[in-house]
Amino acid sequence: MKNLGVQIPQAVIIVFLAVMTGAAVWLEIPLTWIFSDALVRLAMNGVLVLSLVPMLKAGVGINFGLPIGVVGGLMGMCISVNFGFKGIGGLAMAMAFSLPVALALGTGYGAVLNRVKGKEEITATFLGFSFIPLMNFFWTVAPFSNPAMLWPIGGKGLRPVIGLKKFFAKSLNDLWLVDIAGVRVPVGFLLFFFLLCILLVLFFRTRTGRAMTAVGESEDFARLAGIRIPGIRILAVILSTIIAALGICVYAQSYGFLELYDAPLMMAFPAASAILVGGSMGRHTKMAHVVLGTFLFQTTYLISGPIANELMVPEVAEIFRLMITNGIILYALLYEGGKTK
Amino acid sequence: MLSLKKITKQYNGFTALDGVDLEIRPGMIHGLVGLNGSGKTTLMDIVSGQAVIHRTGGFSGDFEFDGIRRYFTRPAQAAAAGIGMVHQEFVLIPGMDATDNISLSNECVKTWTRRILGRDLAMIDRRGNRARAETLLDMLCPDLSPDLPCGRLPVAMKQFVEVARELNRNHLKLLLLDEPTAVLGPADADRLLDAVRRIAQKGVAVLYVSHRLEEVAACCHGVTVLRNGRVKGRLPHDPGDLKARKPFTARLSELVAGGRSTSGTFTPGQTGKRTPLLEVKALRVDKAGDNLTRLELTVYKGEILGITSLSGHGRTALAPGLFGLCPAKGTIRFNQKPLTRLSPENMIKNRIWMLPEDRREQGILADHSILDNITFAPVQSGQNFIKTGPLPFMRTWDREGCRAYAGQSVKELAIQCRSIYQNAGELSGGNQQKVCMAHAMAMAPDLLFVGDPTRGIDIAAKASVLTLLSRTREENGTTLVVSSGEVNELKQICDRIAVLYNGQLFEILDPDRDEADFNRSCAGQRADQ
Repeated sequence: MKNLGVQIPQAVIIVFLAVMTGAAVWLEIPLTWIFSDALVRLAMNGVLVLSLVPMLKAGVGINFGLPIGVVGGLMGMCISVNFGFKGIGGLAMAMAFSLPVALALGTGYGAVLNRVKGKEEITATFLGFSFIPLMNFFWTVAPFSNPAMLWPIGGKGLRPVIGLKKFFAKSLNDLWLVDIAGVRVPVGFLLFFFLLCILLVLFFRTRTGRAMTAVGESEDFARLAGIRIPGIRILAVILSTIIAALGICVYAQSYGFLELYDAPLMMAFPAASAILVGGSMGRHTKMAHVVLGTFLFQTTYLISGPIANELMVPEVAEIFRLMITNGIILYALLYEGGKTK
Repeated sequence: MLSLKKITKQYNGFTALDGVDLEIRPGMIHGLVGLNGSGKTTLMDIVSGQAVIHRTGGFSGDFEFDGIRRYFTRPAQAAAAGIGMVHQEFVLIPGMDATDNISLSNECVKTWTRRILGRDLAMIDRRGNRARAETLLDMLCPDLSPDLPCGRLPVAMKQFVEVARELNRNHLKLLLLDEPTAVLGPADADRLLDAVRRIAQKGVAVLYVSHRLEEVAACCHGVTVLRNGRVKGRLPHDPGDLKARKPFTARLSELVAGGRSTSGTFTPGQTGKRTPLLEVKALRVDKAGDNLTRLELTVYKGEILGITSLSGHGRTALAPGLFGLCPAKGTIRFNQKPLTRLSPENMIKNRIWMLPEDRREQGILADHSILDNITFAPVQSGQNFIKTGPLPFMRTWDREGCRAYAGQSVKELAIQCRSIYQNAGELSGGNQQKVCMAHAMAMAPDLLFVGDPTRGIDIAAKASVLTLLSRTREENGTTLVVSSGEVNELKQICDRIAVLYNGQLFEILDPDRDEADFNRSCAGQRADQ
């Protein structure tokens, strides 16, 4: 655990969190409620954060092109909703449908990133940004037929927000819910998240996984050992994209709504911020960083809202969130840049 | 003009220069020759005010230039004093044309704008710059137009632009040339020498550093020979006297190398009976700063072949060329079969492996454990540590075997570490090299290339690394090709030593030969000349 030594981002966030918790107690906001919600948010956002890991480990950088994977997941969910699949099975079908889409998108995305070695992060950011308008066009003409998804007037084109209540909203959230001392623990949901973490850890223990970490660490070494670097890098991007697709499925069922159009645009920043808060610095990324980072970051989000609403004008919460999210990414980029000098 | 007295420079206790005296008068071309590591570069660094000198504690002794005692901490100070330097590597901006490169930071400006706006904001007078560049280039190389972008110029032309830029300095008094002809062909080299002579006639003092002794003999009015940081000789010379050149070159090469040549020529005929393992014909490798132009070399089964040369003459290019790390072209036969695809995968398939000279970047994974480092390539390529299952796709990675092998290697090669799980980046250079060697042995190659095996390693570890190399051959029958600049080390382990010169095989020497012979050969001089 020596790589988890507290650095500036963690220190800032922990102090912030402590102050917030103090304020919450003072304002008599129930801590059990905060804790239950924090656990849900951990699992809800954790998968999206996890999706950054393969690309980080392979040295492709932070997956700022996360919206691409998100779109894959949205497609899968749309198909599932279109068929009217319900409950946990519906969610499983949505995930299954999103896999081939994410695979195809990830391959193209990876091929692009292989051509811009050294500038992956900025390229990925703009790839994500430019992909969304393209998909906006698709959503308006996509041949889906379930009236629950279409504009109520005219009956053509998908709605910006599709309610999942009738389909698979909260299906994973409510799986094996256990009440411990007033805290509702979503056991099934957490298990799903940890299972994905464990699978990824196991993947990095295979030959391919180790080749991936080697590529991230020294391409020269990997090349000399006969590893095809472009292939490994594309594989990392595909993995990241697929996990992102699963991540949005999990996120949407927990949120209860399927958000299309511009919604995926800003998905990458909170995820990137969370993993950086966890202490990940480039390819030195561990599962512990993912879990710890998501927990700290999301809890801060969660707790700052009601407190700010209580003490100041409601908008302040959102301002704080953006400051934290983007400030941490900026710090991490500066830190990385400073190290190479 | 320039007068150095008792210049001594130490780097962390290592004496690079020891009481060097040097004097150059205006209009004179002074040669500075010596082997790699003899202190030439350090001397140039001091005179041109490179920051590294000041950072490492400065130097002692008297350095007088233009009648004033000097101590430069930055190159800009030296430039302001009138010292120009042409580096071995090009420092040109590829997108700009020759005019802009020559005039950069020393432009002609429109006078009236300078009066109003000051020097930094004044308008550049393009026409004036072009005229100045043209005059300079006319003197150096008349067929080079000042409007050509520098990125696409041939190397020789780039060199001329570099020289022209230094000449453009307003008060150039001393010009330092560091191996200016290393990248040039004979015709261009002659042209450059002509230009240097013309520069000197204008009253500029020139310090000319080169490995090519004929050139030094052809243009210098005096030569200082450095060996191990000391002045070994100072010869006056008249470059106009054509007859004196040859004996002068011979004397120089004696002084440079030290000691007399052992007579008798070596016949490489004894190796004819053995089976060739690797045959390289007309191999061309484009490695930045260390090209092979046309290498013909045969490596025999079971031998240890050393490859040496001065830096820049191609000793490090063979293995990277074969492994496809640098563009390479030529006919290669391995085990009597042609090798066409030059890639790491293909080399591994043919049981060829290399230990790169850049150990930290290419040889180890600093953030992986010793265990991972030792067993990485065998597992990835499926050469070793693979358990076969009942079906072909059920092959798995034999972790137990890996651990056992790593543990055994650590013990046998005496790698000093806490455990096999310690990160390789935390080890010392010598131990990292041993990790690399254990990695190589796990691949059990038939042919192993080793690049500078003792670079950056302390003396005690050097000896054990060398022993290990020869043990590899004895125990596994591996054929080794070791490239190194340290002839003494090659002599300890090699059966034959190939000396490269200008990217070609110059001659193959017996390791029993005198070090002086090697030095002579490295400098491109035949022993019987």
